[in-house]
Amino acid sequence: MGVKKTDIVLLDDKGIRCDGRTIDQPRRIMIKAGVLKNANGSAYIEFGENKILAGVFGPRDVHPKHLANTDKGILRCRYHMQPYSVSERKNPAPSRREIEISKVIKEALEPAVMLENFPRTVVDVFIEILQADGGSRCAALDAAAVALADAGIPMRDMVSACAAGKVADTIVLDINNEEDQEGQADMPVALMPNLGKITLIQLDGVLTPQEYEKCVNTAVNGCKLVYEVQKNALRDKFFGDGTQ
Amino acid sequence: MDDVQRKYVIPGDVITTGPYRAEENVHLFGDKIIATTVGISEVFDSGVRVIPLTGRYLPRIDDFVIGIVKSHTSLSWELDINSCYAGILPASDVFGRDFDPKVDQLTSRLKTGDLVAARIANSDRSRDPLITISDRDLGKIEEGELIKISPSKVPRLIGKRGSMIQTIESATKAIITIGQNGYVVVSSEDPDGLLKALDAIKTVEEQAHVPNLTERIQEMLGSNSE
Amino acid sequence: MTTSAIIDDLKKKKIVALLKEGQRIDGRALDEPRTLAIDTGVIPKAEGSARVRLGDTEVVCGVKVQPDKPFPDLGDRGIFICTAEIMPLADPTVETGPPGEDVIELARVVDRGIRESGMIDLTQLVLQKNKSVVGIFVDNSVTDYDGNLFDACSYASVASIMSCKIPKWEIKDDVPTKVDGQVIDPPITTLPISVTMGRIGDQIIVDPNADEWGCMDARITITTNSAGNICAIQKGGNDGFTQEQLVKCGQISIATGAKIREIMKKVGGS
Repeated sequence: MGVKKTDIVLLDDKGIRCDGRTIDQPRRIMIKAGVLKNANGSAYIEFGENKILAGVFGPRDVHPKHLANTDKGILRCRYHMQPYSVSERKNPAPSRREIEISKVIKEALEPAVMLENFPRTVVDVFIEILQADGGSRCAALDAAAVALADAGIPMRDMVSACAAGKVADTIVLDINNEEDQEGQADMPVALMPNLGKITLIQLDGVLTPQEYEKCVNTAVNGCKLVYEVQKNALRDKFFGDGTQ
Repeated sequence: MDDVQRKYVIPGDVITTGPYRAEENVHLFGDKIIATTVGISEVFDSGVRVIPLTGRYLPRIDDFVIGIVKSHTSLSWELDINSCYAGILPASDVFGRDFDPKVDQLTSRLKTGDLVAARIANSDRSRDPLITISDRDLGKIEEGELIKISPSKVPRLIGKRGSMIQTIESATKAIITIGQNGYVVVSSEDPDGLLKALDAIKTVEEQAHVPNLTERIQEMLGSNSE
Repeated sequence: MTTSAIIDDLKKKKIVALLKEGQRIDGRALDEPRTLAIDTGVIPKAEGSARVRLGDTEVVCGVKVQPDKPFPDLGDRGIFICTAEIMPLADPTVETGPPGEDVIELARVVDRGIRESGMIDLTQLVLQKNKSVVGIFVDNSVTDYDGNLFDACSYASVASIMSCKIPKWEIKDDVPTKVDGQVIDPPITTLPISVTMGRIGDQIIVDPNADEWGCMDARITITTNSAGNICAIQKGGNDGFTQEQLVKCGQISIATGAKIREIMKKVGGS
């Protein structure tokens, strides 16, 4: 590629990160519920430079039939990146990374979704990454949870996701693309905020036991901040002016 | 009567704590009663439930529904009833007990794309809901326009003791048939009346949460029919 | 999509009955397309992008520009590749997996309409003859379906290309190296505008919505360029057109195309 990156300062001595944030500050988050006409539920999220669309269909008949579960409904999830969503154009066919993330997101949502009352059906969650920028799987999950609620799929709790990480030997909240590439650790986390259950956690990098605890704590706080944005997105759509 | 506390909720919201009975669309976590869908929670007597503001139709026995024929086998038709499951209309319901697949052709009575007014005859989760059209007032719908609304808005469209639907029908001279599943058929001899009725129905769906909606719709239709 | 969810029979009958009177179910004139909304620059990281709404059909298009090897025998021009995919969230009947024949046809028709018009002067996009050239990759993602994906994807592609910025590359040590901070406008020679028409009975209608799409006997997509000449045609559907109807479709595509070209000219970047 032959391009030399200028040395970016990940964390200066005033505690300011490369994009001007402090160590506990998440990027700008915006969520809108109910943005598609045909999907049963949908949501659009902008999380930093991530731009992601989520659509839900279901519960509905399962095709092919042999996938159906006679006792309860199943959840299917597809995380897919558009070719133009990343710096170098990506082949439209699903990559191994996308397949893994699809599975991890599905398993983050499954504890929340209540499909016991819908045997022989499937709830399909489709996530399209229009522009990616570090932490896309968390942003995708945040949009998917809002889309599921928009569709009226019964859920035990919302699912809110946010990543924390380590840059310049410091635990920070919500790492962006540069911090992901040049930093020391990346830990995406998803939380069911009212039930207090963590349903997604992965780690890329090396952490001491103390850093690990601090990182989980930081990410959980981030999840709670995201939860407020998800709540407002649903309130804006369904409750008019949001008056109780 | 008005000892019902109401609140807007989203999934995961704690509605209340204590020894209450968990009714529809809530679940228990310790002593907390938690909403499972976006809707309006109601705490009444000893029970707690949530009335959903979104979601597909859940079939209940005896519900009046409108279905669209999707396909058929040699023994039954499959209907789209805006639910997680297709509605099954057995051929015997239409042709009678001595229905013979070799002689009686299903398509002679109903084919793909036909609209039917029907009732849920049986609904248990282990199989697809059974539909019947063997009553007067039920059967193939020969004219009218289908409009789809969220099933959660059907009570609003009907109104208290039918006040909303009567308001629309008398102002537009249209006949409105409302399925509990959110499929609604509107027919009118007057094309203008038809359009006004459709507009009114869409408005009720969009503004279901707004108070005094019946008066607003009355104004909307009254001023239009100048 | 040529196949779609079941349309109820009463609606089909109404569409056909109204057309016999020269009217359409949504009140449009026979040759009137739906409202077209174009926003460019919606994917800032891509070199060009646009979101198009044609009625309730929505398409997001992104343009990536990057150096590539030229096609064999075409070492004196850049590469242009245009794709289209229908996202499963666009409609309940869309399946995941490799694209079916409908989607492949959609992508190839959109690609051909732009390529055959010569919209981009590919000879201006050579870095090292026979060795490295500039590749322009236009990818369409359909996010909501309400009929006529051919035109929606085509308009999204044209708007994205018009508003895109092409980086500058220098050859250093025999390899293209990006020069930061320098961009040029794409070498555009003409604006191809596609117009898709459906035939229901004896009537030709422009820009069918999803309901009309499900009742069509046949359809045709005709692309014209800025000079008012026809540069691409695709007929689809399982019935045909008479010769007179084809001539009429040609005339409609030129007239309606001109109106849409005026909208397209106002798109940012040109």
